[in-house]
Amino acid sequence: MHARVQQWWVVYRIALEERLVYRGDFALGTLMRFLPIVTQIFLWWAVFDAMRHESADASETIAGYSYANFIAYYLLTMLGRAFSSMPGLASGIAQQIRNGEIKKFLIQPVDLIGFLLLNRMAHKTAYYSVALGPFALVYFLCQSYFPPMPDAGTWGAFGLSLILAFVLGFFLEASIGLIAFWFLEVSSLLFVYMLLSFFLSGHMFPLDMLPYPWSTIVDFLPLKYLAYFPSAVFLGKVTGRELVISLWVEVIWVVALMVLCRVMWNRGLARYSGYGG
Amino acid sequence: MLATRCLSRPPRLGLQVGRTVGAGGSVERMPIIEIERLCKSYQVYQKKEGLWASVRGLFRREYRQVEAVRGIDLTVEQGEFVAFLGPNGAGKTTTLKLLSGVIHPTSGTARVMGHVPWKRENAYRRRFALVMGQKNQLWWDLPAQESFRLHQQIYRIPTSSFHQTLDELCQLLDVKNLLNQPVRELSLGERMKMELIAALLHAPEVLFLDEPTIGLDVVAQHNIQHFLRTYQQTKQITILLTSHYMKDVLALCKRLVIIAQGQICYDGSLTGIIDRFSTDKVVTLLFGGDRLPSQWEPLGRVLEVVGPKVKLRVERQRVAQVLASLLADYSIEDVSVEDPPLEEVIADAFNQVSRTSVPGAPLDRIVPGTRV
Amino acid sequence: MPGESVHPSYIRVLLTFMRNSLVRDMSFRSNFVIESVASTSWVFMNLGFYLLIFRYTNEIGAGSGWGKYEFFVFLSTTMFINSIIEALFMPNAQEFSELIRTGNLDFALLKPIDTQFLVSCRRCDWSSLANWLVGGSLLVYSLRQLTARAENPLQIHPLAFVLYPFFIVCGVAILYSLMISLSASSVWLGRNQTLYNFWFYITNFSRYPMEIYGGTYGTPLRAVFTFVIPVLIVVNVPARWMAWPFDVARSGPLSLFAVAATLASLMFSRWVFLRALESYRSASS
Ligand SMILES: Nc1ncnc2c1ncn2[C@@H]1O[C@H](COP(=O)(O)OP(=O)(O)OP(=O)(O)O)[C@@H](O)[C@H]1O
Ligand SMILES: [Mg+2]
Repeated sequence: MHARVQQWWVVYRIALEERLVYRGDFALGTLMRFLPIVTQIFLWWAVFDAMRHESADASETIAGYSYANFIAYYLLTMLGRAFSSMPGLASGIAQQIRNGEIKKFLIQPVDLIGFLLLNRMAHKTAYYSVALGPFALVYFLCQSYFPPMPDAGTWGAFGLSLILAFVLGFFLEASIGLIAFWFLEVSSLLFVYMLLSFFLSGHMFPLDMLPYPWSTIVDFLPLKYLAYFPSAVFLGKVTGRELVISLWVEVIWVVALMVLCRVMWNRGLARYSGYGG
Repeated sequence: MLATRCLSRPPRLGLQVGRTVGAGGSVERMPIIEIERLCKSYQVYQKKEGLWASVRGLFRREYRQVEAVRGIDLTVEQGEFVAFLGPNGAGKTTTLKLLSGVIHPTSGTARVMGHVPWKRENAYRRRFALVMGQKNQLWWDLPAQESFRLHQQIYRIPTSSFHQTLDELCQLLDVKNLLNQPVRELSLGERMKMELIAALLHAPEVLFLDEPTIGLDVVAQHNIQHFLRTYQQTKQITILLTSHYMKDVLALCKRLVIIAQGQICYDGSLTGIIDRFSTDKVVTLLFGGDRLPSQWEPLGRVLEVVGPKVKLRVERQRVAQVLASLLADYSIEDVSVEDPPLEEVIADAFNQVSRTSVPGAPLDRIVPGTRV
Repeated sequence: MPGESVHPSYIRVLLTFMRNSLVRDMSFRSNFVIESVASTSWVFMNLGFYLLIFRYTNEIGAGSGWGKYEFFVFLSTTMFINSIIEALFMPNAQEFSELIRTGNLDFALLKPIDTQFLVSCRRCDWSSLANWLVGGSLLVYSLRQLTARAENPLQIHPLAFVLYPFFIVCGVAILYSLMISLSASSVWLGRNQTLYNFWFYITNFSRYPMEIYGGTYGTPLRAVFTFVIPVLIVVNVPARWMAWPFDVARSGPLSLFAVAATLASLMFSRWVFLRALESYRSASS
């Protein structure tokens, strides 16, 4: 057990060091990533502007979101995405499967999924330690759009939802990558996933805006936990019983995907070594 | 002694060789490539290890100057087939790139068929071709035929002569049936042949070949050599070839240019290089009786002994003396005196050159503190 | 007469390029289909987003003139321009920085043809042109809605049919210049991933009507992206001629500026390109 923990720690530390080398790039890249939000802010300003003119009612909201809420929402989804997005994970796994590099995990006493998870954690830690600056700066500049400080319970739920978003995002992408055991070409599948997650995770707009059939569909998908859910929790859109239930559902999703990953990995490897390839 | 001479001033034997060949015909041929004091140096950014160093690197960068070509003078006449030899990193590829105008020189001049290559005039670019063994220019996913068509459009080759040339080249290289196969499915040798065809479609007058036989098997190498020889002889074009295979050089070139550390240190005929760099001869003796000399050292270095047949390496000045003494003391049925194989001579030449570095002009200088 | 034969026929070469790309795409047919479907579904998703917005409002920006169907004309213009860029120039710009990095630009430099032309037009991604269908349908549908509506229906001036494509071409030229300058700069900067993101972030501004950039922060932003990096006029100018009533006084000055900006961007990108070629050092092989 001790040896196991030590091995994990070493993997984690090496990955962290490797990541930290590219600090400057990171910081700049993070700031740049806020740029698309700028256009979103202006877009929604224009929309609210038109609405105000039409009804002369100063307290207009869209699906319960005021203009300030919208901006806060977008800024918070950035944070959610920072936790849940896994650039290059699925395609990396697929590539390793395709070019046979995966074989080394058959021989070495390392578990691919655990290894990748540690790698990601290191990657994310490095990322946050550098991205903290840009994020803090942007949030400080935009503080007037945020609601008054939420209570400790909301903070806790928010933190939990972010961590779960990370794990969920990881296992979701990993299982897509593992599909490569069965279909070699997963890049198009990945594109579809990206497309869906962009719109249905709430990255593009608050999911509360969706009309009937769509709102139900989205509720039954895990994607909303990647970006929409943490932001909604922070903004106090999900509270009380609903919040608890949603968190439980998210946990169930995480466990289910974890099991799915494991099963796919074992089956895939068996299939792979069965080929003798 | 040899080496210092070689490095102090590149001898311009090339001119003489060119002239002697030219004198065989009645007309003096005009130089088609003229290079004078051509230099190219690259600034290479020195990346430092460690975080602090890389932060500092954002403001103060240290560059290392790599002098790839350091003052080359060369004249090539029309119709010559010149081989460029030199160890890795000698500057051969850089020279060819300069001559094709792909990169700009740091200083010096060059003219090819009256054009300055790095001006990249269309008129010049229509008249030469560059083939690089390590790179390919054909569309990877398409049959070579399609790339050829594109060449036809770019070089504006009339359709009739395009087909005629293509047929001719395909026949010479025996690749007619591969034209419709995607390039990525061709073997290395087949792809090289296609690259050659692509380069020759517009009937260039000057051809630069950078290691065209790299990675090919003996048969394919031979094919390409044969093709190049035939093609060059019939068209009388001028070819500059670099290669690490001496077979290529032996088969194709009369003139040899050795370049090391960015400078020319030999320019002349094949036989000349042996006179110049080889101090030894290989003497093969077939002894008649059973009696063989017991001590070889005073005579020379033994290369091999097979029964009564002995191969010796003897310093050139001593050949006559050694032979005389052997013939006097032993019964010898057969004798031959040969030059050592060209590979060895050239390896010797490279060695001699790289052992001597030029005092006062280190190859890599650190140029600190250029602000960016 | 040698002067004449020195120049290749650019049109013919371009056609050969497009043909070769098509042959290539067709040899990976399933990939081609998937890519077409993917890029159209992206477009449809975007359309869905705006439909969602117009459930809550009738106009983007009070009194801006961008009602639902006007905005859809704008959107289809974006699609046209984007799909041209993605089909003709995006793969080439990407490949250009790759050519610089690997040293394979050597071969492009050898050819007796303008290097910028050769580098910009080598590839053509036919699957992106699928969006023309979506854009076209959306344009026709929106224009019918606009012309058939009860209160002040739109009357399309015949000149609009000339000005619209003309300014689309201008817009494409501006984006092309930006793109080729960015990828040429990888001669100096080496890596291009950041450049690539930069391109996306900048062009992101061009996707919306310029009227939305107002207020204390919006006005300078609008000025920068109109006059310094003219991405805002790329879609706005052609869309105005088509979606709005024909009004020279309202759209004329900006359109004149758009022509000037197009020429300036093209010249600028040419300058950057030539400078880049001078600094090109051909990766050692
Ligand atoms: N693009 C470049 N940037 C920096 N240095 C370069 C570049 N190209 C070449 N060099 C350097 O210039 C020198 C000469 O290189 P060149 O490619 O001309 O050698 P070569 O004679 O062709 O060697 P080889 O036989 O290995 O092909 C080498 O030291 C190389 O490191
Ligand atoms: Mg070389």
